[in-house]
Amino acid sequence: MPLLQVKNLKTYYQTARGYVKAVDGVNFQIEEGEVFGLAGESGCGKTTVALSIIRLLPPGGRIIDGKIIFNDKNILTMSEEDIRKIRWKKIAIVFQGAMNALNPVIKVGDQIVEAITTHENVSKEDAWKRTEKLFEMVGIDPSRAKDYPHEFSGGMKQRVMIAMALACNPQLLIADEPATALDVIVQAQILKLMRELQRKMNLSMMLITHDLSIIAETCNKVAIMYAGKIVEYADTKRIFRDPQHPYTRGLINAFPSIRGPKRKLISIPGTPPDLLNPPSGCRFHPRCPYTNDKCKKIEPELKDIGERHYVACHMSW
Amino acid sequence: MSEFRGYIVRRTIYAMITLFLTITINFFIFRVMPGDPVSIMVSERILKPAVVEEVRAMFGLNLPLWQQYILYIRNLLIGYLGYSFHWKEPVINVIMERMPNTILLMGVSTIFSVIIGIVLGILAAWKRGTKIDVTILTSSLTFYSLPVFWIGMMLLMLFGYYLGMFPIAGTMSRPPPEGFFERILDILHHMTLPAITLTLISYGEYTLLMRGTLLDVLTQDYIVTARAKGLPERRVLVRHAMRNALLPTVTAVAISLGFIVSGATLTETVFSWNGVGRLIYDAMMMRDYPVLQGAFLIISISVILANYVADIVYGILDPRIRYGGQGA
Amino acid sequence: MSLQKLMEEHIKSLREFANTFFKNKFGVIGVAILSVFIFMAIFAPQISPYNPMDVKSIGVGKPFSPPAWIKIFNKDIPDDSVFGIMGTDELGRDIFSQIIYGSRISLIVGFAASFTAVFIGTIIGLIAGYYGGIIDEVLMRFADILLIIPGLPLMIVLAAILGPSIRNIILVIGITSWPSIARIIRSQVLTVKEMKFVEFARAAGCGDNYIIFKHILPNVMPLVYVNAAINIANAILIEAGLSFLGLGDPNNISWGMMLFFAEQYQALLRLAWWYIFPPGICILLVVLSFIFIGHALDEILNPRLRLRR
Repeated sequence: MPLLQVKNLKTYYQTARGYVKAVDGVNFQIEEGEVFGLAGESGCGKTTVALSIIRLLPPGGRIIDGKIIFNDKNILTMSEEDIRKIRWKKIAIVFQGAMNALNPVIKVGDQIVEAITTHENVSKEDAWKRTEKLFEMVGIDPSRAKDYPHEFSGGMKQRVMIAMALACNPQLLIADEPATALDVIVQAQILKLMRELQRKMNLSMMLITHDLSIIAETCNKVAIMYAGKIVEYADTKRIFRDPQHPYTRGLINAFPSIRGPKRKLISIPGTPPDLLNPPSGCRFHPRCPYTNDKCKKIEPELKDIGERHYVACHMSW
Repeated sequence: MSEFRGYIVRRTIYAMITLFLTITINFFIFRVMPGDPVSIMVSERILKPAVVEEVRAMFGLNLPLWQQYILYIRNLLIGYLGYSFHWKEPVINVIMERMPNTILLMGVSTIFSVIIGIVLGILAAWKRGTKIDVTILTSSLTFYSLPVFWIGMMLLMLFGYYLGMFPIAGTMSRPPPEGFFERILDILHHMTLPAITLTLISYGEYTLLMRGTLLDVLTQDYIVTARAKGLPERRVLVRHAMRNALLPTVTAVAISLGFIVSGATLTETVFSWNGVGRLIYDAMMMRDYPVLQGAFLIISISVILANYVADIVYGILDPRIRYGGQGA
Repeated sequence: MSLQKLMEEHIKSLREFANTFFKNKFGVIGVAILSVFIFMAIFAPQISPYNPMDVKSIGVGKPFSPPAWIKIFNKDIPDDSVFGIMGTDELGRDIFSQIIYGSRISLIVGFAASFTAVFIGTIIGLIAGYYGGIIDEVLMRFADILLIIPGLPLMIVLAAILGPSIRNIILVIGITSWPSIARIIRSQVLTVKEMKFVEFARAAGCGDNYIIFKHILPNVMPLVYVNAAINIANAILIEAGLSFLGLGDPNNISWGMMLFFAEQYQALLRLAWWYIFPPGICILLVVLSFIFIGHALDEILNPRLRLRR
């Protein structure tokens, strides 16, 4: 039984000009102890998937269809009170950037204590002690729990966020671009820390990023998202060894591999589509080098091509 | 903590500079006005032309401008604001006589409009997009758009002249009633209509400000974090959103406190309330420049002081300033 | 891009803007109310049944006559003691005609004074924000001092000195209300200035004037529009206030001045509600129309709820 199953999730945003189909029929699952990667360009709906799982969509966002089964229960049909108890206690999330994810007028320690006391019946003192331990765990001097967010650097803030995310020993940790907007060295440190903690605590994790190199080093499985849909889904090794979808190939070519042989950098021509009026047929067809008439008319389904490697493309490879 | 001290020092110096510039401009505005005070007294036959030169010398008006300026500053330093031609009293007495009336009326209506405004603003932002929000928004915008003197006239006609529930003019009955509490009640009775008038037109500004900043804050990442932590909605609103949203409102309130002493010329006119706002108008009509100059000076000082206090309060409430870093 | 295509783009974005604007209830109501008053102002001579200042011509009633339709409620009032749809003032002049003509003053003063203030404020805000340093410091200190001196009393002093005329009222309102606009524009310029395209333009060797007007101004304009609408509303309220204090132009009847005369001639004591009610409602409606338009523009042009994906 997987820890989390997302089935045919559709999340749209209502705007003055119509519905933005940010997530349009997404399926995937995460097993216990597994690290699942969700990759794609910015604006492809990755963050919306994450926010749908904890049901915290911004105004105008609505889950139109689908199921999100967590621990055998459908999150989407729960009462507001029940989902509130799952947030952070069971599913914690580390947000993008983290520059603004901490409240500027509250001491960081208090922000973590608050997360603990909301979900567990412990005294403030005990929660504070636990907070200091968490700080040690993520490599920050515990005395700094009394400081305000602006006194931390970007990387330190992200460590605080990770400490906060682990405060209630969640079953699932969602990390949305946890290292983006940090400089390269700090980025590497944060990712290393997350990998270590994941291994040590046997955490189930969902890692959202636009950077495939991070996925390659961290995840067991990966789903590639394009324009609100998953276009390829498989074992990480498989995808990197044998990418099937033209978009995945483009992405893999678009980043320089540190370890692998030097390759010519090929970026994918064109821009991500307008999700108010997504292209007909395969959503990738306007940018795809192999487009034919079928691609323009018929939407490809996600098919298993063997060894649980799923691809949504008309071309058979 | 030393960075906070630096912040306070900077704010203090800034306030002093503003004060100095304001005093200077205040001096020159009333010197470039057509006709100096003495020649107006002549034209209004208060003085005989023969004594004019004597009086000019007395007021230092025949000195070069820069010497007059130095004289003015020196007089200010010893607390002398000049002598009123019309009321035949030192300017400071003329103003101080009316100050309590104005502070009472403005103070009470400011407190009411701030409380009503903030509460409605929070409610509207919290219930954004609902009927409650639209109602609060529409009524705030409507009251903001009403001419204050007209609301005053309508209230006065209905409750004063027609229903006879409230007195039609003045700050106190003549003769004043016996006894301390009777006197207080009498003043409150006179104050009710003007205070309601001022509250009605000014609460909307706080509502809109509070609603706007709260909506802004509610879209911030840390609010999403707070919700993701599973905090109850009330706690998100009170602990995480409101403290951040109150900063601009506190500043606005502190600044508006500075204007309390300037009174409300239009409302005071409608209700014949003997306050500073009405005094400024009367002094202008009488061309009593010393009184005008004095009133402008006292108001400016009070506004600068209020701005200064607002800066300090902001610094205390916002740790980014209190402990240095950005934003200071 | 060819000129034609550029025009097409422009028209398309305008149409898109109009579409969003007219979906906003506040915007629609504001424009509707304003249209009525603009119509009234333009066709005042055609609409008003009498000369608003006329005391002698035929048909003009007795002083303080209530409107004619009051007879529906009270049949005992003699015919010659009622008049028109809004009654008469202390000299027996037709109030309805005064109301019609009054719309001209409000709108002219509102637009002209606000244009003056927004023009000065935008220029000063652009210069202070773009150049920064000592120029910024001096301009903003000056603006601060004007903000510290209480607004209405300062305007009373200026209006009294300059003498009562429409031009002077416009001038007084215009030159005293630019500082807040300058401050808002300045802070927006500071943000825009840091954006990449400005950096590129500078690297490409564009001159300061070119960058200010071609790159910064267009990005500040939304804020200018919102503030212009709010500023017109404030200017109309101030004009009404100054006229109510007797500082208005005596040759042109305005709503504020009607209320001044109503006060002077004891309309309250006489319970002449027909004299007091209409001018106030008209001021409210015109001001509200601009406030609504400003609010709608603010919601559209400065969206607080950015979409997150």
